[in-house]
Amino acid sequence: MAKHPDTDLVAYLRGELPPADRERVARHLEECPDCRQDTEQIRDLLGQLSRSIGQPPEVNWAHYRAELREKLEARRGRRVWWWRPAPLVLSASLAGALLLVAVWSGRETSRGADPFTLEEAAISRQLGLLQEYQVVEQLELLEDLDVIRDLDGLASGRQG
Amino acid sequence: MEPSDEALCERVAKRDEAAFDLLVARYQERAYRLAWSMLRNAEDARDLSQEAFIRLYEAAGSFGGRSKFSTWFYRILVNLCLDHKRKHRWWKLWVRDEGDDRTDPILERQPAPVTDPVDKLSRERTMKELGAAVDRLAPRQRAAVLLRVQEDLATYEIAKVLKCSEATVRVHLHRALTTLKKTVEKR
Repeated sequence: MAKHPDTDLVAYLRGELPPADRERVARHLEECPDCRQDTEQIRDLLGQLSRSIGQPPEVNWAHYRAELREKLEARRGRRVWWWRPAPLVLSASLAGALLLVAVWSGRETSRGADPFTLEEAAISRQLGLLQEYQVVEQLELLEDLDVIRDLDGLASGRQG
Repeated sequence: MEPSDEALCERVAKRDEAAFDLLVARYQERAYRLAWSMLRNAEDARDLSQEAFIRLYEAAGSFGGRSKFSTWFYRILVNLCLDHKRKHRWWKLWVRDEGDDRTDPILERQPAPVTDPVDKLSRERTMKELGAAVDRLAPRQRAAVLLRVQEDLATYEIAKVLKCSEATVRVHLHRALTTLKKTVEKR
């Protein structure tokens, strides 16, 4: 016997299955008394369920709609406050002022010394030091955080 | 002729307030009832269904018309409810069943006049237990069951609402009904 079509039974009862599947389930039901019984139980259960779910407490619909309107207005008010004329003008002025400051300071910086050039000059002054291999080796050692952290201790230990 | 939901939604996208009011009037009861069925709390159901309408208003422009309006709207609502349940899970564990304002309409909703009062009582109890068992289902299983039973949505529509495949919806429904069947069989 083919696999029991458990999950198809509700759809079968409702007539939702495509013809081939409907045919397959119907054939199975003819041969399988268990599935036939299941189908009947599901049919009864669906009927009982619609009665057992019950009805919610009564609502005054005019009041419900009025409350909904209030909530909607409140939400709309919250969303668009910044789009009203006064805040809009303020925001636009502030943005304009910030833009002006940015442009002005940019021009000032371009007139002054280039910070990158200064940095390059400082590095070039140290080139002589860096070319000595032993010194560089020492510098790499100093990059070890533990060594750096314990430098004072090492020095005092050596003294002691 | 009444305009379709989809046409109204297009008008909402253009900020047509009358179209929005019409959509709210059409869906308010369904939205509130579905939210309540998922949350079992009237105040939360009211808040979240209103929030769903606000989201609808804000996102109407993104409704492409590829699916039915109802499916699209239910997705907004169900997502809100699932998020709410996720956020409040710890609180629920703390105050179990507090604030559960589920009314018990079973007495009023029993249709046929029953001659045997014992039988009637037993059926009412079964209904009550079944309703409670639905409340205990995993959130997505419960959503699938409610969308099927209460809103009469087809599997492909539930799949769109829950953003999963139809096969997954079938598995959700199968598992949920297996659990619920056990509740009924226990009696």
